[in-house]
Amino acid sequence: MIHVENLRKEFKKTVKDPGLKGSLKSLFKPKSEKVVAVDNISFKVAEGEILGFIGPNGAGKSTVIKMLTGILTPTSGSCTINGKNPTQNRKSYVKEIGVVFGQRTQLWWDLPLRETYGVLKEIYEVPEDSYKKRMAFLNEVLELDDFISSPVRTLSLGQRMRADIAASLLHSPKVLFLDEPTIGLDVVVKDNIRKAIEHINEQEKTTVILTTHDLADIEQLSKRMVMIDKGTKVFDGSIAGLKSKYGQIRELYFETDVKNAAEVLGYAEHFSLSSDDLSVEPEGNSVKVRFNSSIVPVSDMLSYTLNKINVSDINVKGADIEEIIRRLYEQGVD
Amino acid sequence: MKHIKRALKIHRIFMAQEFKRMMEYKGDFVVGIIGFLLVQLSNLMFLWIVFTQIPNLAGWSIYEVVFIYGLSLIPKGIDHFFFDNLWSIGFFIVRKGDFDKYLTRPINTLFHVLVEKIQIDALGELVMGIALVCVSAPGIEAEWSAFRIIAMIFMIPFVTLIFTGVKTITSSVAFWTKRSGNITFLFYTFSDFARYPATVYNRFVQNVITYIIPFALTSYYPALYIIKGENPLFNLGMPVVAAVVLMGIGIFVWHKGIRAYESAGS
Amino acid sequence: MKRKLKIYTPFVNAGIQEVATYRVNWIFFMLGNAIACLVSYFIWAAVYSSGTKESMNGFTMPQMIVYIVLMFLTNTIIASDGAYVVGEEIREGSIIMRLIKPVSYNATFLFQELGNKLSTEIAIAVPMIITVEVIRTVLSGVLQFNAFNLLLYILSCALAYLVNFYFNICFGFIAFVIKYLWGANMMKNVVIGFLSGTVIPLSFLPDALEKVFLFLPFASLNYTPVMIYMEKYSGAQLWYYIGLQAFWMLFFFGLSKLLWKASVKRLSVQGG
Repeated sequence: MIHVENLRKEFKKTVKDPGLKGSLKSLFKPKSEKVVAVDNISFKVAEGEILGFIGPNGAGKSTVIKMLTGILTPTSGSCTINGKNPTQNRKSYVKEIGVVFGQRTQLWWDLPLRETYGVLKEIYEVPEDSYKKRMAFLNEVLELDDFISSPVRTLSLGQRMRADIAASLLHSPKVLFLDEPTIGLDVVVKDNIRKAIEHINEQEKTTVILTTHDLADIEQLSKRMVMIDKGTKVFDGSIAGLKSKYGQIRELYFETDVKNAAEVLGYAEHFSLSSDDLSVEPEGNSVKVRFNSSIVPVSDMLSYTLNKINVSDINVKGADIEEIIRRLYEQGVD
Repeated sequence: MKHIKRALKIHRIFMAQEFKRMMEYKGDFVVGIIGFLLVQLSNLMFLWIVFTQIPNLAGWSIYEVVFIYGLSLIPKGIDHFFFDNLWSIGFFIVRKGDFDKYLTRPINTLFHVLVEKIQIDALGELVMGIALVCVSAPGIEAEWSAFRIIAMIFMIPFVTLIFTGVKTITSSVAFWTKRSGNITFLFYTFSDFARYPATVYNRFVQNVITYIIPFALTSYYPALYIIKGENPLFNLGMPVVAAVVLMGIGIFVWHKGIRAYESAGS
Repeated sequence: MKRKLKIYTPFVNAGIQEVATYRVNWIFFMLGNAIACLVSYFIWAAVYSSGTKESMNGFTMPQMIVYIVLMFLTNTIIASDGAYVVGEEIREGSIIMRLIKPVSYNATFLFQELGNKLSTEIAIAVPMIITVEVIRTVLSGVLQFNAFNLLLYILSCALAYLVNFYFNICFGFIAFVIKYLWGANMMKNVVIGFLSGTVIPLSFLPDALEKVFLFLPFASLNYTPVMIYMEKYSGAQLWYYIGLQAFWMLFFFGLSKLLWKASVKRLSVQGG
């Protein structure tokens, strides 16, 4: 259904010296440097699938979504939905997709919500009878009735999000893109939105692609997640898969008065571990060791450490999913 | 044909939305229209006072000067009324990333931007322009013929596109630079030159406003034909050519620009 | 301490960036105004060459050129954003924040604006004054520069700026009535443009009208300084117009205080 191949996006960033002189200089003689926002990302999505994009801020999630929705032109690579290409075929391409950006709205700000749907009906050429059916359905799923006659500017954030999702679904798109659909919402509202998305996906087999940095969105909605970091795909699979791949990593933390404890211990040589399976970070009196417990059992690690040096405090942390992701965010993926 | 029908329908729907929006802010529109009327009144007072001192301005009678002035306001007002939204492209739509919305909709982006908003303030210019043309025309010693009047009306949509074209080109710059409202402002200011007969300017300025930023084509040259019947080929043909060329460049640059559009933030 | 200061560098940089954007905007705005000046130069040139008289209402053609340039300069020097700033605060409701601050907002805003102005405007004032002097000298053949006059002009500009500043603060309160600030400001600028002689020197108007306009506060904005620079006023007349500027400054200063008090009352009754 969706084919993404070797997608890459470079931005030109203008480098500007500070001050008036700098601005004028950059006005007439702009200096720029290249920033790679998305680097060689490929994946496929099947019809009816819900795919969650996750990654830290600035990882490139939104850039990917914006290329998939035809907003940004890729520097190289391609994405197609049902064989259609957004940069060559924008108008017919966007008829097949619905897009919601959590931080912006496409609703007519000063007018009652109903008016927005009236205009979108014409823009997307939805026939009158299917429009009525569609509104009835969206009304039921997203409970628009309470505020459909209110001017959009008076809606709460949660109502606005529901209204925006409805707006993106009016023309029965095959694929729905949601960029941070739950951002800034409280827990109950988040839950409602997720349920609605799930419901639409089940009822209509709508393919959903969403970005979030709330893991709960992914846990509740998608069987599959793609993790992006620094513009590259670092993981593609199920949450269980993520756990089994990175869940073997344990973190050993201890405090000692031995100077150069890390060198004294020499974990890498002793256990013959590669840098993929081991990282050691001394900091003051303490040392943090991350290691792959499927190669070196936790008990071996502990006994070796305790025998070698004098330790005042020690603990080992396992990995829950939040922890894995947090760690991946912080340290990148090797 | 089908495309045109659909475009007109969408235009009508956007207009309807705009009128509904206006009903929510009635007071603003009175202020805006009166404001633009006052601008014109102030300029007219200037002309009137000046003409108490002199018999003619560089050979042009007060009626002719007012006619050209009024004629310049009509396309300016129409562009201002229908296509004012272009200003926001250069001032904030691109910079804030709000252009995303247009790219996710199945209609031409430029068309969408152009028809999305109307600016009622422009009625101040438009009404004044029509009134001045009507009031000054009888005072002009010209051989009025049906053909000349038809030619005048026929020219209006084209010369309007000179304004729209210049705005489209300068606004498109924002796709590369994020912000280009200032550039649009600077170019638009050149339309001030269009208010008076081009012969009052020196050769250099005349060339600039005829061939480079051709606002003289929006009123002076068509008026030259209507008043004096001179050189219809250039005086009517050149504005039409300029309109088509400028709008063509505008559409081209716009679509190039979309490819360079970088949205905003993440 | 150094570490602490470092935390603020991004904000400082952002500030510099903002000022830089502001100045680029300002430069374009000035260029736009310069084009408008060019248009009026050509019109006046055509007017003088079409007429039979060498001098019209006390202005010869060279003097008219000087008048246009000086108007441009004076307009820039006395410009003030107060109407927009106050209006915007009223519209957003953030004016209520001023109630809880112990400092005089007008004063802080005044100094802030003055600070911005001094840096940018000296940069254009000096070359423009030189330009004016060169034009005058070339066109008349005699050096007309008069340092005392320049000082009087600066004094008059300072007063004009204060009149404009307090007038704009007062005008900003119109936001309680008109929500369309851009439109309201445009209306204000047009009316002032005409009443202050920017569009046409007031001496071109019918006598009765001229007398009224000269007394109105708007002549105190840019007409008076320009007339002083051009040595059109002398002796008692000169001091009368400077005194009138001082009067209007005090008038609008007082009015801004009154409006401020009234709006505080209104806000505290309505609760914003």
